[in-house]
Amino acid sequence: MVKSEFVVALDTAEKQVHGYQAQLETLKTELHVSEDERKKCQDRLRYLEQELEASKGREHALQERLIKEVNDSQGRYQLQVKRCSELEVQLKKEVDSRKNSESSAASAKERATDLEEKLQRLSESSEREKNRLQRELAHWQDDSKLSVSRKTADLERMRLKAENLEEESELLKKQLKEIREQLDECLHQKSALECKLSTIPTPSESTPSEDKNLVKHLREELRNYEAEVQEARRLKSCHMNNELLKEKLLEEKGRREKAEIELSQLQEAQLNAQNLELELMSWKSLLKEIPDVTSYDDIPKKIAGLQKEAIESLIKVGEISAHLKELEVSLELAELCKQHAEKESLLAKEKAENSALEVKRLELMLSSVAEERDRLNKDAIALNKQKTAHADSGMMDETLVKDLESSLALRKQTIKELESNLHEQREVINRQYDEIKLLNEKLSFEARRIKSLEREGDRLRSEIALLESKLGHGDYSVANTKVLRMVNTLAVDSETKQTIEALQAELKKTQAKLQAVEELKGQSDAGNVIDVDISEKLAQLKGQIAILEKREERYKAVFAERISVFRRACCSLFGYKIVMDDQQRPNGIPVTRFTLQSIYAQSDDEKLEFEYESGNTNILVNDYSSQPEISQQIEIFIKKMNSIPAFTANLTMESFNKRTLS
Amino acid sequence: MASRTASKDIITLRGSAAIVSEFFGYAANSILYNRGVYPEESFTKVKKYGLSMLLTQDEGVKSFIANLTSQLSEWLEAGKLQRVVLVIMSKATLEVLERWNFNIETDAEVVEKGVSREKSDKEIMREIQAIMRQIASSITYLPCLDEPCVFDVLAYTDKDVAVPFAWIESDAKLIQNPQMVKLHSFDTKIHKVDTLVSYKNDDWDEQ
Repeated sequence: MVKSEFVVALDTAEKQVHGYQAQLETLKTELHVSEDERKKCQDRLRYLEQELEASKGREHALQERLIKEVNDSQGRYQLQVKRCSELEVQLKKEVDSRKNSESSAASAKERATDLEEKLQRLSESSEREKNRLQRELAHWQDDSKLSVSRKTADLERMRLKAENLEEESELLKKQLKEIREQLDECLHQKSALECKLSTIPTPSESTPSEDKNLVKHLREELRNYEAEVQEARRLKSCHMNNELLKEKLLEEKGRREKAEIELSQLQEAQLNAQNLELELMSWKSLLKEIPDVTSYDDIPKKIAGLQKEAIESLIKVGEISAHLKELEVSLELAELCKQHAEKESLLAKEKAENSALEVKRLELMLSSVAEERDRLNKDAIALNKQKTAHADSGMMDETLVKDLESSLALRKQTIKELESNLHEQREVINRQYDEIKLLNEKLSFEARRIKSLEREGDRLRSEIALLESKLGHGDYSVANTKVLRMVNTLAVDSETKQTIEALQAELKKTQAKLQAVEELKGQSDAGNVIDVDISEKLAQLKGQIAILEKREERYKAVFAERISVFRRACCSLFGYKIVMDDQQRPNGIPVTRFTLQSIYAQSDDEKLEFEYESGNTNILVNDYSSQPEISQQIEIFIKKMNSIPAFTANLTMESFNKRTLS
Repeated sequence: MASRTASKDIITLRGSAAIVSEFFGYAANSILYNRGVYPEESFTKVKKYGLSMLLTQDEGVKSFIANLTSQLSEWLEAGKLQRVVLVIMSKATLEVLERWNFNIETDAEVVEKGVSREKSDKEIMREIQAIMRQIASSITYLPCLDEPCVFDVLAYTDKDVAVPFAWIESDAKLIQNPQMVKLHSFDTKIHKVDTLVSYKNDDWDEQ
């Protein structure tokens, strides 16, 4: 029995051993599988660790980039803040300048009202001036009428005298003719008598008394003839006097004609006076139009004041335009900064989006890593459970699992740290978003301010245009400027030109006649009544003319002396005799021609001609300059090197060498 | 006296005065031709400023402009000339229809000290050419002068200038409520000339 039981027990034990062996093999296989899986897990873990390190590195790089961007944006923000503060300061200055300009405009208005009152006073004084001028004009007209009437009376007197003298001269002429005829007859008779006397023989029978009577008679006739001859001589002298008187008459006639011409000139002067009156009326109307002018003296002051205001406003406009330009420049800079900040904000947004995407990707990775971790935990727990059934072989696995768990815990910590970093970065990005929003608001505010400045600039430009238009209108300051016009306009006819020249010549002749009249005044009894004042003025003017003529002659002499010294010096220093001649081209432009002759020239034909016009000197072609030697030098020195002094110096040297060699 | 130094030329006061007075002579001729103040057949073409400029052959106008430019040159050398205005008036009524205003700014330092400046002659010529072109093209916007017209020239000088023989003091011959067109300017670095034309509002424009 016991053996069977032992055999049965052995069988059972062997079966149990077989069973345990099979279980052992299965456990071994399971152990191999678990080892494979552990290796796989370890590989996976290593891979995950590598990925985690890579993600750490990327996150570190991202952090650094974000920190840099944050620093940059902070720096830019500070710059923007500085610029905003500067623009605010500028805005304050602009506001102050605007207030100042408004206050100056108010003061200008007050001055304008003052000037209006002054102009009213000006108009009254101008009326008074006009009345005074009219009275003076009436006085001058009366004086001129009186002098005209006096001159006409004198002329009539002289004319009557001349007529009387003419009649007398005619009578005397007739008498002279008769006397001459008588004289001729007497002379003829005398000669006949003498002949008779010489031919008649002396009769002895004639009585002495008859001879004596004849002689007496002849003597009486001789006396008569002598008296007649004397009378004839007297008549001759009278005739000479008549001729002198005739000449004087002719002169008086000429004077009468000139007085008539002067009368006509007087009428023209009256016409001019009327024109002056019309001009005065027009000036008066002008004065009425000007609101602030009361007299003629106030007009220049008023206009000077207005011009000063205009100049001050121009200066202000200039300053404002300069300021405007500065503002425009600052505006452009601000716009550029705005564009730059917008670009940077866009870039920062893109970067933030990229970092957010990166964060999401990391989160996904973390989630996947966490899932992997959970799965590994589950596997580890399953393995642990399996290993607890196989206690001996499971000790190693437990340590491995513990190591894995510890590594997983570490990874968890790192993941938590990464999550906290991500959270911080999100907060940083949110803060940056807020800053970017603030910057955008500030940018919009700056843009609005820029628009207001642009409007201000447009307004200032329009003011500048207004002031320029006023300048362009032709306004000017009477205190500093006067307007001149050429009298010899083309609307004047040639007759009026001739009359002007004729009047000028007549004026000179009347001045000469006045001198002659003054001389005649001492000789003649008849009165050409001359105004004492005019003679004194004439004497003064003559003295001044003499002084000026002397001065002019002195200047001419001094100038001639100096210019001759200068020309001789130029000739001795540079070796050329220079002759200057002013000419005019057909188009009316004045041109100066210079003729140069070298002192070493061998003939008088060796002359160079230059033309000077508006700062340019050109050589003219003539026989001497067209010679081959000279033309070659002209080609080299003037046309190629553009140096006339070099040409003349070279020519001088060549002429000197020729002279010394010859 | 102009002499070449690289790309710039030396400009003296006398040279600048000659340039400006010569410019005014040619500008006056161009205005008289373009505005029809004198008949076209009385003008002849010459080359100046790189353009074909028209000059009058009427002896009276020629001598008038010649005397005028010589006096302007004298005033410019003395630094006494502020403005030159060419006025076009109706022959019948003497009403002022157009004012061609040439404003002149003079460098006082050059007048007082006699220094010279540098600027390219070609540059000055280009600037003057631009003004001449604008004068020629002004007929497109200026109103037509349908009636016979005459012209006059006014010179705005300093107050202390002695009035020469052929000149008298005058009013400014202004236009009431004018239209104004600003043209180009040219600068010799000694004299700066701004050009502006002001004209009477045409009845058509007012309608």
